[in-house]
Amino acid sequence: MRLEPAMKDVLVIGAGIAGIQASLDMADAGFTVHLVEKEPTIGGHMAQTDKVFPTLDCSSCILTPKMVSVGQHPNIRLYTLSEVTKIDGRAGDFTVEILRHPRYVDESACTGCGACAEACVMKGRIKNAFDMGIGKRGAIYIAFPQAVPLKYAIDPETCLTLSRGKCKKGPPCKLACDADAINFEDTEKTLTVHVGAIVVATGYDPFDPRLKPEYGYGKYPEVLTALEVERLCSASGPTLGEIVVNGKKPSKVFFIHCVGSRDHTVDNLYCSRVCCMFTAKQAHLVKDKVPEAKVTVTYIDIRAFGKGYEEFYERVQSEGIIYRRGVISEVFKKGDKLYVRGEDTFLGETYEEEADMVVLAAGLVQRKGLEVIEALGVQKGDDRFFCGPSPLDPVETGIEGVYLAGCCAGPKDIPDTVVQASGAASRAMTILSREEAA
Amino acid sequence: MRIGVYVCHCGINIASVVDVAAVRDYAKTLPDVVLAKDYQYMCSDPGQEMVREDIGEHQLDRVVIAACSPRMHEATFRKVMEKGGINAYYFEEANIREQCSWVHSDREVATEKAKELVAAAVARVHLQESLQEKEASVIPAALIIGGGIAGLTAAKDMAEAGFKVTLLERKPYLGGHVAKWTDTFPNMAKASEFLTPLMELVKTHENVEVLTSGELVDLEGFVGNYQAKVSLSPRYVDETACTRCGKCLEVCPVEVPDEETWGLMERKAIVLPPPPHDPDTAFIDASSCRHFTEEGCNACVSACPEGAISLEAQSEERIIDTGVIIVATGYNLFDPARKPELNYEKLPTVITGPQLERLLDENGPTKGKLVLNGESPKRITFIHCVGSRDHTVGNLYCSRVCCMFTAKQAMMIKGRYPDMRIRVCYMDMRTFCRGCEEFYNAVQGMGIYYTRGMVSEIFPKEGKPVVRFEDTFLEEMMEEPSDWVVLAVGMEPPEGTESLQNLLKLSRSADGFFLEAHPKLRPVDTDTDGIFLAGCCQGPRDIADTVSSAHAAASRASIPLFAGKVAIAPIVAEVDTEVCAGCALCEQVCVYGALKLDEMSKKMTVNEAVCKGCGACSATCPSSAIKLRNFKNHQLLAQIDALCVKSAEISG
Ligand SMILES: Cc1cc2nc3c(=O)[nH]c(=O)nc-3n(C[C@H](O)[C@H](O)[C@H](O)COP(=O)(O)OP(=O)(O)OC[C@H]3O[C@@H](n4cnc5c(N)ncnc54)[C@H](O)[C@@H]3O)c2cc1C
Ligand SMILES: Cc1cc2nc3c(=O)[nH]c(=O)nc-3n(C[C@H](O)[C@H](O)[C@H](O)COP(=O)(O)OP(=O)(O)OC[C@H]3O[C@@H](n4cnc5c(N)ncnc54)[C@H](O)[C@@H]3O)c2cc1C
Ligand code: SF4
Ligand code: SF4
Repeated sequence: MRLEPAMKDVLVIGAGIAGIQASLDMADAGFTVHLVEKEPTIGGHMAQTDKVFPTLDCSSCILTPKMVSVGQHPNIRLYTLSEVTKIDGRAGDFTVEILRHPRYVDESACTGCGACAEACVMKGRIKNAFDMGIGKRGAIYIAFPQAVPLKYAIDPETCLTLSRGKCKKGPPCKLACDADAINFEDTEKTLTVHVGAIVVATGYDPFDPRLKPEYGYGKYPEVLTALEVERLCSASGPTLGEIVVNGKKPSKVFFIHCVGSRDHTVDNLYCSRVCCMFTAKQAHLVKDKVPEAKVTVTYIDIRAFGKGYEEFYERVQSEGIIYRRGVISEVFKKGDKLYVRGEDTFLGETYEEEADMVVLAAGLVQRKGLEVIEALGVQKGDDRFFCGPSPLDPVETGIEGVYLAGCCAGPKDIPDTVVQASGAASRAMTILSREEAA
Repeated sequence: MRIGVYVCHCGINIASVVDVAAVRDYAKTLPDVVLAKDYQYMCSDPGQEMVREDIGEHQLDRVVIAACSPRMHEATFRKVMEKGGINAYYFEEANIREQCSWVHSDREVATEKAKELVAAAVARVHLQESLQEKEASVIPAALIIGGGIAGLTAAKDMAEAGFKVTLLERKPYLGGHVAKWTDTFPNMAKASEFLTPLMELVKTHENVEVLTSGELVDLEGFVGNYQAKVSLSPRYVDETACTRCGKCLEVCPVEVPDEETWGLMERKAIVLPPPPHDPDTAFIDASSCRHFTEEGCNACVSACPEGAISLEAQSEERIIDTGVIIVATGYNLFDPARKPELNYEKLPTVITGPQLERLLDENGPTKGKLVLNGESPKRITFIHCVGSRDHTVGNLYCSRVCCMFTAKQAMMIKGRYPDMRIRVCYMDMRTFCRGCEEFYNAVQGMGIYYTRGMVSEIFPKEGKPVVRFEDTFLEEMMEEPSDWVVLAVGMEPPEGTESLQNLLKLSRSADGFFLEAHPKLRPVDTDTDGIFLAGCCQGPRDIADTVSSAHAAASRASIPLFAGKVAIAPIVAEVDTEVCAGCALCEQVCVYGALKLDEMSKKMTVNEAVCKGCGACSATCPSSAIKLRNFKNHQLLAQIDALCVKSAEISG
């Protein structure tokens, strides 16, 4: 038997609120955390969210202090634009290979002033994924103003210098940068770290509603996803918080629950656990911003189960928002008008109603590109999210030293995500604090 | 003095309503302000870096940042002060977002108000004093209150992380509610498959001491250094000698309702807890034992072949030194007698979901058979949301598990009795947990009738219960004659919650469960440092979510223990012993117990580690002898004066 001290370092994959919370817990306890995030900034989906149910706190106001703490923590090594490419070993002694994609901007030199983005030839011409494509950015960009790290990055696909070898007479961004931070010669780098434990916190993707063509998403501009509505509602979002759909204020708004969830036809039998509540929140926000609009929510069951959620649902109902039980079978156009066709299971009748904004409460699905974690032996459930041997302990993977946090182990709201993230940290710390690993 | 003022745009959060440049220019005119700047996001890295550099370059010795609420970023900016080389408390944050731009729309008025707030902050920062954080050492141990699956899981993590754990359970055995459920959703695992190994691990772990029949009676100290007084009642039976032969039960003359079945069955005063409860050896319930209630009875003592019983045992008290405390006290079940229209007390075959769990248990009182008073049912009706989502009993919240335990029970019954007619009356199906929607689909496929409907009453007809409900699909009142009716009762805070609330200085949310420090981002922390929540004591949830939160509480609780020290915030009360007359009025208003009168000198003393800086004492002291650092009268008055002067300027 080999005896050696367990590594005091730990790897966290993904820096949404789950990865952030797990990292802060372990770093505060004195362990060194290697936090790997594939995007240029940390924050995940919570950063995209406008306000959070049921408190209606501004999401970024409560998130950014945590993001700042991650950025400043002496025990956290943050690798953005990075991926884990290989993991070997076992609890107490894993070897991890991290691939750092080029940012083309020197992180230590960039001051985040934004002069480059102002100068970029592509400014305002590229859809900003952070704004769900509603807002526009340039080829050199930050996803949002409170990004951590607040360092610009060049998107090699749209940058003229990188994709075509030439941009104007000399790249205007490089000329604009006083800090001389821009480096078109930047390359991929690989580094290796040794850790005692691993927390997987890779989160979720929203369900792609194009897989339900009957709702007309992608065909009718009035049909939006819930994440798009988050960006529309956000005061710092692309419309500065104004609800504008297809160029005008909506007056007849329909929300449709369970899009891509509880649905055999797309092989997602599971409930996404948060869409009932984020829809209640968005219905409230839309009604608040456009009081004269008629807002209707169509649902199968209302799953308002968390602390204060039932109360929030009652409040929303009292604000003149109409809840109609029954599924919407189709969104369609007659002439230039948009209609929804639904069945009201209370009244036992089908109806057609005009709508000028339709919001799809698209559910949560597992992300792609998680092969490294699967190779480690982490199992997936029928719902394709990660799981362990027992559904009664959602933190465990069955592999000692590897733990699950947040939505990568099934849909859940922010409090449940934060809980599971701390939970994963707890299990990881039992490994890190071992005197010896056999 | 050289003051720097920074005005934040907060993107457009502030800048769209407040004329940030005008506020900045105004700040330059204030006394001792040598520099004023505005910036997009002061909390961002470059924003902080700018302040840090300016402190050195411009020899600033005070800083004011006009931005969001100090609740958000005061800690961030204090760190910047330190990095810049000046005391963290030579800093003031003016809140021009929550208190200004978010609540006003008139740009001119909002800008003037922002100026006022900045002027006031500058006036105050002049008088701020340098304060130093102190550190206290930490006892590397945890006290966990409650030995259900939450407490057990937290105990396992803390012990495996290397800390001493005392697990305190008020019942004579561990296991909590889960030990009473036979098969558990969503995968129908038996409690003995996961609870028994967990109890074994915890009980035998070298770092854990389990105290059963114990309750917390007093608490002193502060995070890192708590002294908990617990009172331990005797079992009256030697745990190591009892062989569970049951001879004592045969002779015990007492018959009282059995808590294990919520009164469905009866028990003796000496009890053998059914496995998987641990320990499952006998114990005597002194409150019903005739030896204590009427004196004289000794029947069991002589009946025990092992001589394991002694009625002389005494209760004892112990002090436990601990760094942190995890509360894992679970829940109680709603008592359906509070809804008289359900006739739960009158109709013997109207039972609750938890009672049905005991009847379905193969090791339970009926060996898993559905029989009550010798009769088995052919038609069972389940009713959801009893005591939950119900204004009439004051419980607005959803109990989160009753949709699923009902589905589980319906499935088990249909499996054992395929001909049973089962109807379930529900409001919304909340099968949201992982694997649960799939479970519900499977149950629906078994020929169980799910009806969406509100139950208005249960009434007797020929001695059998009839359920009257409104079918919301058909919009008709329906009557369902039943042999048995099962009420899916919800969860409520357990008894003893109020006493723990007072001892631990915790708060409760409107639903009566313990309140977390922040509903989104600090879901297992409390407002009392060093005290954490695990499982249902914070709100209803299933086993998976309970286990998750127990791991989480263990993580949060181990942070100070790993760190080995806790920081003591310097914003605490301070006594001017020259002035203090020893009247002790302040001692009475301090809810944290931070103040004590020194008997020798007759002067008040402050325990800085316990003081929360609430300021109640300084507001009470008739001679202003006790002051709150950083919030001293002259500091606050300067701030108020500045506000008044500025408003007078505007209106005049
Ligand atoms: C429209 C909408 C509104 C919502 N509103 C609310 C609300 O109001 N209140 C509430 O409580 N909840 C809300 N939620 C739920 C909330 O979004 C989630 O609970 C939360 O974001 C989950 O956090 P996470 O960290 O698990 O996942 P994510 O936020 O998805 O974060 C995962 C992170 O991991 C990174 N990552 C992924 N794969 C890799 C990889 N291979 N390598 C490195 N990094 C990787 C991602 O880039 C991302 O940064 C809402 C959800 C939606 C869809
Ligand atoms: C009928 C029914 C069936 C269920 N079936 C399932 C299922 O199949 N699957 C599932 O996932 N969930 C199920 N649940 C939910 C499950 O019971 C809870 O999730 C779980 O019991 C919560 O564990 P806990 O430790 O938080 O609380 P508890 O189980 O209540 O344990 C709390 C413990 O603390 C002790 N205690 C209380 N106060 C004090 C005090 N002041 N001092 C010391 N000790 C104290 C109690 O004696 C108890 O031992 C069911 C619930 C019900 C009502
Ligand atoms: S949370 Fe509500 S909307 Fe979302 S899938 Fe579940 S039931 Fe449907
Ligand atoms: S879980 Fe289901 S039965 Fe229980 S209170 Fe909630 S909605 Fe009602």
